[in-house]
Amino acid sequence: MTPERGALGNHAPAFVRHAWMAPLAFFTIFLIYPLFVLVRTAISADTLNALVNSGPWSIALLSIGQSLASVGLSLVIGIPIAGVLARYQFKGRALVLALMTVPFVLPTVVVALAFKSILGELLAPGLILVILAHAYINVAVVVRIVGAQWSALDPRHINVAQTLGANPFRVFRTLTLPNLKSSILSSACIVFVFSFTSLGVVVILGDGSSTRTLEQSILRQTSVLLDFPGALASALIQLIIVTGALFLAARMRGATITLTHSERTKVQGARRSAWVYSIVTLSALIVLTPLAGLVIGSFTSTQGMDLSAWIGVIDAQDRFAGLGSPRAAVALTISLALVTALIASAIGGLAAIAVMGRRTFIAAIALIPLGLSAATIGLGTLLAFGRPPIDLRSSGFLIPIAHALVAIPLVVAVASPALRTADSRRFFVASSLGASPAHAWWTAYGSLLRTVMIAAGGLAGAVSLGEFGAASFLARADSPTVPVQIAKLLARPGDQAYTTAAVLSTILVVMTLSLMLLIDRFSAQGRIKLS
Amino acid sequence: MARTFLTTTVITIGIGSVLLTGCSSDAASEAPQQSSDQASVVRLLTHESFALSETLIQSLEDQGIILEIQTAGDAGTMTSSAVLAAGAPTADLIFGVDNTLVSRAAGEGVFAEYTSPELDQVLPAFQDQTSGGLVTPIDFGDVCINVDNAWFAEQDEQPPISLETLPQFAERLVVEDPATSSPGLAFVLATIARFGDSWTDYWAQLRDNGVSVAGSWTDAYYTQFTLSGGDRPLVVSYATSPAAEVLFAEDATVTEPSTSSMTDSCYRQIEFAGVLAGASNPTGAQQVIDWLLSPDVQADIPLSMFVYPVRSDATLPQAFADFTPVVESSALLESEQVAQQLPEILRSWSEVMGR
Repeated sequence: MTPERGALGNHAPAFVRHAWMAPLAFFTIFLIYPLFVLVRTAISADTLNALVNSGPWSIALLSIGQSLASVGLSLVIGIPIAGVLARYQFKGRALVLALMTVPFVLPTVVVALAFKSILGELLAPGLILVILAHAYINVAVVVRIVGAQWSALDPRHINVAQTLGANPFRVFRTLTLPNLKSSILSSACIVFVFSFTSLGVVVILGDGSSTRTLEQSILRQTSVLLDFPGALASALIQLIIVTGALFLAARMRGATITLTHSERTKVQGARRSAWVYSIVTLSALIVLTPLAGLVIGSFTSTQGMDLSAWIGVIDAQDRFAGLGSPRAAVALTISLALVTALIASAIGGLAAIAVMGRRTFIAAIALIPLGLSAATIGLGTLLAFGRPPIDLRSSGFLIPIAHALVAIPLVVAVASPALRTADSRRFFVASSLGASPAHAWWTAYGSLLRTVMIAAGGLAGAVSLGEFGAASFLARADSPTVPVQIAKLLARPGDQAYTTAAVLSTILVVMTLSLMLLIDRFSAQGRIKLS
Repeated sequence: MARTFLTTTVITIGIGSVLLTGCSSDAASEAPQQSSDQASVVRLLTHESFALSETLIQSLEDQGIILEIQTAGDAGTMTSSAVLAAGAPTADLIFGVDNTLVSRAAGEGVFAEYTSPELDQVLPAFQDQTSGGLVTPIDFGDVCINVDNAWFAEQDEQPPISLETLPQFAERLVVEDPATSSPGLAFVLATIARFGDSWTDYWAQLRDNGVSVAGSWTDAYYTQFTLSGGDRPLVVSYATSPAAEVLFAEDATVTEPSTSSMTDSCYRQIEFAGVLAGASNPTGAQQVIDWLLSPDVQADIPLSMFVYPVRSDATLPQAFADFTPVVESSALLESEQVAQQLPEILRSWSEVMGR
């Protein structure tokens, strides 16, 4: 008997069968209820008129095209990098993996400005620049999600195929690619949604016509026109399209072969190592080039290269009123990232486990926050939990919750492809040897779960490190996070403000690298050798 | 089944309460315990650019008021959130609603009436800007074309001096999109105040002569303006930007800005504070409005937020006195008129500019 992989039916232990309850409770309280409050407040007859108006729909159509192009480019760049990092062990591997996450974490305004300063002379603001920036930011998503599944692929199939004389490209096309289908689709979805709901990049690098997004309309409607029915219509259309895309992708599942923990191999052979090292070097260069200007900027003053801006930040001189101390901001940002990683891993992990237990609707609900703008989540949360009878605002409780809402979809996206295709035979073997369902489940999935959840938690922490939208909405003004401080500085004239922003951005890069390396360390320790 | 549900619920609540206590510790420690019977907490809703010196907020505590500052995005989004919560507000008072949105907010019942005794001290031009006793003017600023004089001197060219001649310089000018940038919108309103119904023709001239449109002030000022290494020596910015150039120069020997404001092109932005209707601490909110108009806070405003205080006896910092022109003829449209026509203005602008 070969049971369907991942689906244990009634054999599953109770905590797997009931795992859906915690994420459902979390989403009901912190997502669905605030949305309900917001819709109830903003809805009117004009919302219907705005919904049937062709304006927002044509923007949606335009931005679907832009998003598909961004997805294509992200995959083309991301998949080879994911493969190299997942399959080979070499010096500096962990650093490259951490480096790939940096563009995803930096505030979009910083990335967009860095991009413009490098490519602005070559390319006019517009579609191409926007697509390039989206790919730059989202390669991390592809590398993490596809990499998580790729590193769990059994290399024996590939070795056998190669022994039988198949060339590497053929092996990739006929063996590897089909088996990565679910994670590729999963990451494609996330990149699509991020590009479709993009704001910072399209405002700075877009041309205002071919690059418009609904998110930009929502900003204009809430921030300039106070047109709530219109904003609600735009938000609903955005939600409809995002949900549609996610459901479409959920229906297309990949083929599966046995997943196991494969050891990464050393790079051997001249051709192989040329291939591996050129990809590694190229990807590191792509990531670093836009950032170089930033780092140099932080060491530059009008007198040339010096450390004055760094000394200013480290001394925490209060040169900018109301900005808050940079040191406190770094501490706050790190603790928020850790708390977010914990909540998102717990809730997102349970959601992924629930998906194994055939509760696939949880995966769908878990992805909804991706389709909502920061302003929508922020406004809803504010109205639901920011005033009597329930005022959680001053508790500082709301930011990690909001960050977790944004991070959970990523956790689910990393964890479910890997878990869904996990080999269930070990479970039945352990069960037949007399282990309790819970024990058998843990024997079968425990180590895989641990590896996957650490990767997922890392991505969740990264989201929180760089998150700006919800933080600018829900933070206490006197204790901003690092991205909020950077954005505040970049909205002020004076070259001290600019260099201080460059220093803080560089600090954020270092924080990201450290956090990612740390997580990689844990994950390496947690890797249990399976024969 | 019931037991598992209980377990998961307990776990969820557990995580929640850990967070709650963990993150609220600093909030609790800030509240001075000794004066808890006297102190009243006032919640201030404001935008992300709000800033005042720490010592002033401390001094407010000596008056028995603990100020809890909450931000909600930019000025527009903040106003949105106040309108959505009108009557059941998320704070006691709001600061930073500007003159383009104040009449909309007032019409939606956001504010409770309050007239500060300090209003007498405000410059006469602003005294009647209260939307009928609902809001209090706190500060004002001017959005103007900034000129990189060093660049023009190097090229041996004369910079423009009036809005009328500006189109000839359009290929040297970067403006911001009014749909995503508040100075961008102010500049569009300046052209409407000057040219009336033919303002779209003016923009067509700017377009034909090669004006650059940036999505945000940051992009315009920090990547396109020649001062920051860009290729456009004219930018829509604030009248106070030249003073900031000196005050926040990396090089302490910089004593004079290389830029100046073209005073003929300015549009006035006024920021208001108001007690929120339905506030749980209206008395405290009123005290904070008086405090915002007090000489100390008014004197702090220029260097903290780069705008001018409304109080007539407020002293300006030296750099302001030296390098920011007194804009005599700043344009200002009626708030009601702007509120009514805004959708149409943005639509026409997009049509002309092809954005």
